Amino acid sequence: MLSRKTLLTIFILLALSPIFGVILAEKLGYHEPLDLVAEELGLSEFEFTWTPLKDYVVPGLPDWLGYMVCGILGVLVIMFIGFIIKAMVRR
Amino acid sequence: MHIPDGYLSPPVAGITLLLTLGVLLIAIRKISSSKEALSEKISLFTALSAGIFVAQMIAWPIPGGTSLHLIGGALIGILIGPWLGILSMALVLLVQCLIFHDGGLTAIGANILNMGVIGVLAGYMVFKIVYRATRKVWLSSFLAGWLSLALAGLMCGIELGISWSSTLPIYVMALWHTVLGLIEGLITSSVVSYIVIKSPKIVGWF
Repeated sequence: MLSRKTLLTIFILLALSPIFGVILAEKLGYHEPLDLVAEELGLSEFEFTWTPLKDYVVPGLPDWLGYMVCGILGVLVIMFIGFIIKAMVRR
Repeated sequence: MHIPDGYLSPPVAGITLLLTLGVLLIAIRKISSSKEALSEKISLFTALSAGIFVAQMIAWPIPGGTSLHLIGGALIGILIGPWLGILSMALVLLVQCLIFHDGGLTAIGANILNMGVIGVLAGYMVFKIVYRATRKVWLSSFLAGWLSLALAGLMCGIELGISWSSTLPIYVMALWHTVLGLIEGLITSSVVSYIVIKSPKIVGWF
C-alpha cells in the first residue's frame, strides 16, 4: 500500500525520533509555549488517563525504546485505518 | 500545542468540539462526492498521515525554554488539498489523543480546530493566493507554513484566553508561534519544493 521509499523514510524518522523526543528533550528541558502559558496562569492537567502509553512511554521499557515502539504502533494504526478507508472507497 | 484536559473551560471545549464536528462533516461530504479522486489520493493520504505523525515526534528542544516540531497542517493541505488534509490531521490528532494521551479528550475539538482546521485551511489558502501571484513554490509554501502555525497558535491562545478571562495566553501563543512558524515555513517549503521537483504529479495544480 505504501511505497518502499515512503516506508524507509518513515522508518528512518522513527529511528531518529528518540534522539530529539527523549534524549535531547531531557538534556535541554522540553518546554513548549503552551507550558509557559500554563505556568503563568497556574493551570494543571487533570490526573486521570485512559491509556497505559501516556506521553509515548511503554511501561517496563526504557524511554527511548518505548518512544520508538509508540511511533511504530501509531504508524501501524494510521496505516490500518488508511487501509480500511481504501477498501471502503473501492467498494 | 496539544491542549491537555483541564486547560479549557467547558463552554470553550464544547463550542470548539461542535465547530470541529461541523467542519469534519463538510470535509467528509466534499471528499465523498468524488470517489475517483479519493481513490487516487488515499495512499498518499495514508503515507502523509503516518509521516506527519512521526515528524511530530521529532521535537527539537531549543535551549532557553521552548521546543518545536513540525505541525504539518500547511504541508498536508498543499499536498492533498484542504478537505483530505483536514481529515488527515484529525486522524493524526485522534491517534495521538486516544492512544498516547497527547492532548486531552475534552480538548480534542479545540486541538483539531487549531492544528487540523485552521492550520490546514490557512496554509492551503495562503499557498494558493501567493502562488497565483508569484508562481514561486518555495515562497508560497514558506509563507503558508509560517502563517498556518502563527494562526493556529493565535487561535489556541484565544481559546485559553476566553477560558480564563486573560489576554496573556493570546500574546504568548501568538508571539511564540509567529517565531516558531518561520521554521514550520522552512520545513514546509523544503518538503513541498522537493516533492514538486521529484514528482510534480502529486501536487494537483502543477
